[in-house]
Amino acid sequence: MYLNLENIFKVFPPRGGASEVTAVNDVTLKIEKGELVTLLGPSGCGKTTTLRLIGGFEVPSSGTINLDNEDITSLPTHKRGMSMVFQSYAIFPHLNVFENVAYGLNVMKISREDVERRVNTVLGLVGLTGFETRAPNQLSGGQQQRVALARALVLEPKVLLLDEPLSNLDAKLREQMRTEIRRIQQELGITSIYVTHDQIEAMTLSDKVVVMNKGVIEQIGTPHEIYRYPNSRFVANFIGRANFVDAEVNSSTDSRATVKCFGTTFDINTHEKLETGKLVTLILRPELMSISEGKGDFQGTVKRSLYLGNAIEYDIEADNHLLTFSETHPDRMKMFEPGETINIELHNEIVHYLKNK
Amino acid sequence: MSTNADLKPLRSVSPFRQRMQEFSLIFRDHVLSLSLLLSVLFLIAFIIYPLTKTAINGFFTLDGQFSLEHFKRFFDPYYGPLARKIFGDTLAMGLLTATGGTVLGFIFAYAIVRCRMPGKKFIHLLALVPTVSPPFAIALSSILLFGRNGMITKSFLGITFTSNMNDIYGMDGLVFVQVITFFSVAYLILRAMLERLDPSMEEAARSMGAGKIHIFRTVTLPLLIPGIAGSFLLLFVESLADLGNPLFISGNTTVLSAQIFLAIAGEYDYQKASALAVVLLIPTLVIFLVQRYYVSRRSYISVTGKPTSGLIEEKEGWIRWPFIIVTYLVCALILTLYIAIMYGSFSTAWGIDYSFTLEWWKQMFARGIESILDTTFLSIIATPIAVLLGMVVAFLVVRKNFAGKEIVDFTSNLGGAVPGTILGIGFVLAFSTSPGILVFVLFFVMIIFSIGVSFQTRKEQLITGLSGIAIAFLLNFIEKLTETLLLVYIIAAIILIFGLIELFSHNRKAGRRFILLALYLFSYGLIEYVTYPLSQLLRSIPSGIFKNAITQLPDYIKLFFQLPHPILGCIVIIISVLSFIEKKSKLGKTALIFMIGCSSALIFAGKPLALVGTPYIILAAYAVRSLPASVRSGVASLQQIDPSIEEASAIMGADAQYTFRKVTLPLIMPAMLAGLIFSFTRHMTSLSAILFLVSPKWRIVTASILSEWEQGGISMAAAYSTLIIFFVLIAIIILYIVTNRMIKRRGGIDITWGA
Repeated sequence: MYLNLENIFKVFPPRGGASEVTAVNDVTLKIEKGELVTLLGPSGCGKTTTLRLIGGFEVPSSGTINLDNEDITSLPTHKRGMSMVFQSYAIFPHLNVFENVAYGLNVMKISREDVERRVNTVLGLVGLTGFETRAPNQLSGGQQQRVALARALVLEPKVLLLDEPLSNLDAKLREQMRTEIRRIQQELGITSIYVTHDQIEAMTLSDKVVVMNKGVIEQIGTPHEIYRYPNSRFVANFIGRANFVDAEVNSSTDSRATVKCFGTTFDINTHEKLETGKLVTLILRPELMSISEGKGDFQGTVKRSLYLGNAIEYDIEADNHLLTFSETHPDRMKMFEPGETINIELHNEIVHYLKNK
Repeated sequence: MSTNADLKPLRSVSPFRQRMQEFSLIFRDHVLSLSLLLSVLFLIAFIIYPLTKTAINGFFTLDGQFSLEHFKRFFDPYYGPLARKIFGDTLAMGLLTATGGTVLGFIFAYAIVRCRMPGKKFIHLLALVPTVSPPFAIALSSILLFGRNGMITKSFLGITFTSNMNDIYGMDGLVFVQVITFFSVAYLILRAMLERLDPSMEEAARSMGAGKIHIFRTVTLPLLIPGIAGSFLLLFVESLADLGNPLFISGNTTVLSAQIFLAIAGEYDYQKASALAVVLLIPTLVIFLVQRYYVSRRSYISVTGKPTSGLIEEKEGWIRWPFIIVTYLVCALILTLYIAIMYGSFSTAWGIDYSFTLEWWKQMFARGIESILDTTFLSIIATPIAVLLGMVVAFLVVRKNFAGKEIVDFTSNLGGAVPGTILGIGFVLAFSTSPGILVFVLFFVMIIFSIGVSFQTRKEQLITGLSGIAIAFLLNFIEKLTETLLLVYIIAAIILIFGLIELFSHNRKAGRRFILLALYLFSYGLIEYVTYPLSQLLRSIPSGIFKNAITQLPDYIKLFFQLPHPILGCIVIIISVLSFIEKKSKLGKTALIFMIGCSSALIFAGKPLALVGTPYIILAAYAVRSLPASVRSGVASLQQIDPSIEEASAIMGADAQYTFRKVTLPLIMPAMLAGLIFSFTRHMTSLSAILFLVSPKWRIVTASILSEWEQGGISMAAAYSTLIIFFVLIAIIILYIVTNRMIKRRGGIDITWGA
């Protein structure tokens, strides 16, 4: 593996009346060369601290970090050969666009011509040709973002760190930059670690998503795996939304199980043999079920309905469970009123489950 | 909700290891760790050590016997009443000045921020003038105007003073003078608070139907309480520390600071002075601590944020005008006081004959040109030292986390807050003879730093350290047999040899650096061959002002070439460590061992750090006194710079030193310039701390004013004061022009005067 974090702990000592904080709790993470990995989680989950540990802005309390078979745990930041795009962009306010991008090259004492060539190439890559002599305060937010990106890319870093780089942009621009970052990253094949709390960003950008919570890695996987096969309630809830319903295992083989809930039984796919009689928790995605007046697996009563434009959202009571349900199918944009009885179809072949602990 | 997070065990890391890890972040960068070490050493050597020395000295007689004599006096039936009266008067002075100054400061702040007063800018600058003038300027001009021969009291009002009349001398005059001198401290604090007060709170109160006075009482005032309390306490501390004003205007009343001064200047009793210093230090320290760690934390208003945009302005005339009128009146008074000083310096005989004369100025230049030049020269030299140190301390305090950070921050402020007299006594006590403990601390820190960063294994470190010390012993032995100058030459020769070897082994940069260092060390002795003929030549000039002005020139030159040995030692080791750090060749290691030896030998050569009588002790005192101002301006401006900007520089490959030079420094430049000017001002006008440190060779103008005045030449004192004020104003005008130009060029960087 290219970048390895092994059993990393980071404890911040108590300061100014606050108590000791374990920001990163036994994190082990392996990243391949050329991958874009996102660290995803709510604020305070330790994702930024993990990034800062990789960048060398903090030292781990214990554990080791290896880059390209070299132990860099206590290597100072400026010798790590990485670069970073900061949430606040951190553009040098006293330097113009060219000088900002050339900064890292000047530190390396590269010849003037090489600096110019490389800066111009990378400015072309991010679409800022012609802006060389602009001062940072003459740039829009999106342009500043591009400068920050160019400044990081021009160094051809071993690892590119991105700390919520898009959080200060408006929604439209964010979408555009998102695709652009992904395009450039794949074009140059730069190993990148991207910190975000925005699940859409994580889903659309990453080769691999690392979901973190309270300093611990909850799950690592491709965007598809994380959404389809969450391994905890936290992940299921954080990536999209989910209804959790307990079901009893009636019988099971190595790859299938029959479970009982809502007063009926379903066959679900498993990857192991489940113990008969045990309870499992089914994860029912609001957008992966369908409702209709016609046929279905079981019945429910509409408690509340909400028109959102691109979807209709329902709260439905069925067998003493309150389920959230989201209707996005264009053919079924008829709204059911509260009190109506409807039929629910689970699409049991795509239902995932959690074993109760 | 079930998550993996709840189930994992938490590994515990001992608090000690956590602290060490924070240090390892700093010590990864050699320049950063070096600057931390040097700042801490400076604070220990010139603040903690002298103050401790003073405190301890109060309990011991000249023969080293433990004695509580001077503390017992407070309860003694014979001495007691007087001692207690002095203590009581001191506290009364502090309380009255603090109250008066805070009230006046509030009036100024309110008038300027809220009352749409015409001429705000001018008033603002005028209010700051007393803080940048010599410490007794106001006392001097008050005597000129309201004294027994005062222009107003005698000439305008025709009062003839008899012995029983209440004149300007005494407690009332003293408090008046101190209020004028110090109220701008309160003004600056309260102004900043008023500007940052969120107007929506008062608007909310108004929307609920509250009346003006009711809002002020229930909303505005409570929000300002921390600021008011803070200014009160700071003023109290300033008042107690003041020496210049009480010396001249307190009449029959004596306060502690003056008593301490007289104990040394009159009785030459250092134990008594130290004991009294302890008595004065206790209330000062307690209040300083309360102010720093209690009151300032109670603040509801963020001081780091930008001033809020919408300000509330008073519309009703009956509120506005009283504030404006009082402000104008006080400003008129301040202006009159300063004009009186100037006028006094041009009057033949104040109180009797007001005719114009240049006699006093001529005499001043004839007698005092040396002290004027010495003061200016030393003030200028001390300025970059103080500011650089201030910026480094500010950088460490704002940007880095390490155990003891609070102490570093506190100590750097302490040196400026304690009464200067106490610090001055401490300096005399600490540096009259060689302070053994300090020299050893310096030695150990330097040794451990140099071997710690240069060698990895314990064995290597031990061998290097021991062989370095062995060389040092040898060198010091040679020194004992001959003289210190020879030692310096030998060391210079060793360095020169290594420099030449480096140069020929294709390490040009290090080679050149060592050769320069060697030449510098040679010049330690050789400079005499330049300065001696020069002083002979100067002696042949016919006497007059010009001769007096340049006779000091050789000494000024020598100041740069004959630094105290321990400092030379530190320079040698620092340059060698930084040159060899990347290069682990055999030659490099051998060189380093020799350099450790040389620098240790230098640290212990002669009478290390016996600095009294040298100009360096005055430089140190200056730097200590002005440090808080530059630390504060550095902290304020660093807090406004996003730390990611420095991190961005680091991850692009720049080390701490490169980042500081190329990123941090340009961004804090305005604060740094402000720091430079305020430090220079503070140096020019400081009196109490350096009063005992002046020597016949190095004279300080504030001390000259004191002696001139004591000998009756009030007009001479006025001339000196006018000159200092003039110098300081020039410095401030330069700052104003330069920063304005900078702000125009950069745009958007705001500097707040004196905040």
